Amino acid sequence: MINKGNSTINVCLAQADPKTGDLEKNIESHIEIISSAKKQGAEIVIFPELSLTGYFLKDSVYDLGVDINSDESAVFEPIYKVSGELNIAVIAGFVEKDADFNFYNSTFCVSNGKLINVHRKVYLPTYGMFEELRYFKQGEGFGVFDLNGVKISVLTCEDAWHLSSSYIAVNKGAHIIIINSASPARGITAGLNKFNSANMWEELLSVIAFYYKCYVIYVNRVGFEDGIGFSGGSCVISPSGNIESKMDYIEAGEIISELNLNLLNNERFKTPILRDENLNLTLKELESIIYNNKFK
Amino acid sequence: MNHKIELPKIDELNFPLIHKHLCNFIKSEVFKAGLKRVVLGLSGGIDSAASCFLAVSALGKDNVTALIMPYESSSKSSMDDALKVVNMLGIKYYVSDISNQINEYFKIETDEAEKSENTYITGDIVLKLRKGNKMARERMSILYDYSYKLNSLVLGTSNKSELLLGYGTLYGDTASALNPIGDIYKTQIYQLAEHLGIPKTIINKPPSADLWEGQSDESELGFTYKTADDIMYLLIDKMYKPEVVISLGFEENIVNNIYERIKKSQYKRRMPLIAKVSERTINIDFRYLRDWT
Repeated sequence: MINKGNSTINVCLAQADPKTGDLEKNIESHIEIISSAKKQGAEIVIFPELSLTGYFLKDSVYDLGVDINSDESAVFEPIYKVSGELNIAVIAGFVEKDADFNFYNSTFCVSNGKLINVHRKVYLPTYGMFEELRYFKQGEGFGVFDLNGVKISVLTCEDAWHLSSSYIAVNKGAHIIIINSASPARGITAGLNKFNSANMWEELLSVIAFYYKCYVIYVNRVGFEDGIGFSGGSCVISPSGNIESKMDYIEAGEIISELNLNLLNNERFKTPILRDENLNLTLKELESIIYNNKFK
Repeated sequence: MNHKIELPKIDELNFPLIHKHLCNFIKSEVFKAGLKRVVLGLSGGIDSAASCFLAVSALGKDNVTALIMPYESSSKSSMDDALKVVNMLGIKYYVSDISNQINEYFKIETDEAEKSENTYITGDIVLKLRKGNKMARERMSILYDYSYKLNSLVLGTSNKSELLLGYGTLYGDTASALNPIGDIYKTQIYQLAEHLGIPKTIINKPPSADLWEGQSDESELGFTYKTADDIMYLLIDKMYKPEVVISLGFEENIVNNIYERIKKSQYKRRMPLIAKVSERTINIDFRYLRDWT
């Protein structure tokens, strides 16, 4: 599927506007987008955080949880099917329920009809307008998985605001960090043609890509939920920290972006920050911080 | 602490995005309600003109209806300015004079000052306020009747400054289904209005609720919107404590006055309190979006 010979991947960023609480409708719209992305040559389609359910779910979390490791996963069968038939990978967000009835803000990756990864969001914002920890349980790590020879890590929204998450991901071997989010548009500044929140995101993404020498793919949603609008601006940042493709703020749509993995080779050779990273030193310092904090 | 933190301006660079955002909000929330139209009260002032311009951009002129609801003491220029807006935008409008209802209601009271239990202020002012509130609620009542009649949502026209200061009538002008300008301070409404192309006569006149002759927001409040907005931006948006705002050079009595006003009017910004009896109570632990599906 992914042509390692020329080291390029075609990725579709699906800047969707999910219908809050309507799993069925969202599955339908995901399939339409996946099919049309395939026609345009996409090998992976990436949807935003909680793309199959909507974001500010409140008590609806209870109704929308799916145990993806049980028969309940049949609800996603149409997505597995289209992924298999079209030989395409799909990354989408859903409310996960485990066998012990805990709920997670999760993201699955289905490739060629098979579930190959689930990321449970670790950092659940519960401040200001957010109340995720009220409903969800925290995930327990940042995994890296292999998608046809390419190493990928998924971070969900707030995960990426903790720089330790991308540090872990790249040191585990991630070449591409995918950040799916549902980031509300907020804050304006004179002379700035974007929301302050979008501006902060772009600075963060550029820092992650440049200093960790990886591709960063950011897929944010649009649309409104009870007056709160999401800021879109999905983009691809290359390991040189430059924005390679970028979508409109606040309008739904898709773009296909070609990632050239040779750039990783080039950037990591020129600026070998990752090679020189001293994990033992970091570990020693972290252990000492944790030890000392016990006596604070 | 950064002393230069100040209320951000709506300018030519951020206006296109804010405009699109507010139009998307109107469209999205109207469509989610299964409707395609809005109705709003047009006073001739800058706030309702701004809401009206945004609604027409969002939904098209055929899907916006304005109600002009003068009282006998309303200034003639208010009516002229409201008509200027409807003519400019080419939208349908109705004029519904509320003088009869209001006068009929108050006719039965012979001595309002004695009948009022609000003894701490003079009878004259009590009557003025009661009449003002009654007018605001009469207009709301008509708007909601038209909402049903025209299959349209009521579009709100209160800005963030008046909502925070409680300078509005509970279940009157503050009532609506959707409010595109409720998170925009009055100072920013002026900037928004310039970019929306609202007529200068509307932008330049002193702000007034026009509930009685010669009424002025700023003389009633005791400070200008500019001062209040600069202070409220720090208090609310930036979450600075009043003493910090005062330390930045703002007048102590105005900061305290504004902070008290915001606290005292909190009830106007919330739904009625419900006594919890059951295990799951509306809006306490029965929690869903209004856009629940």
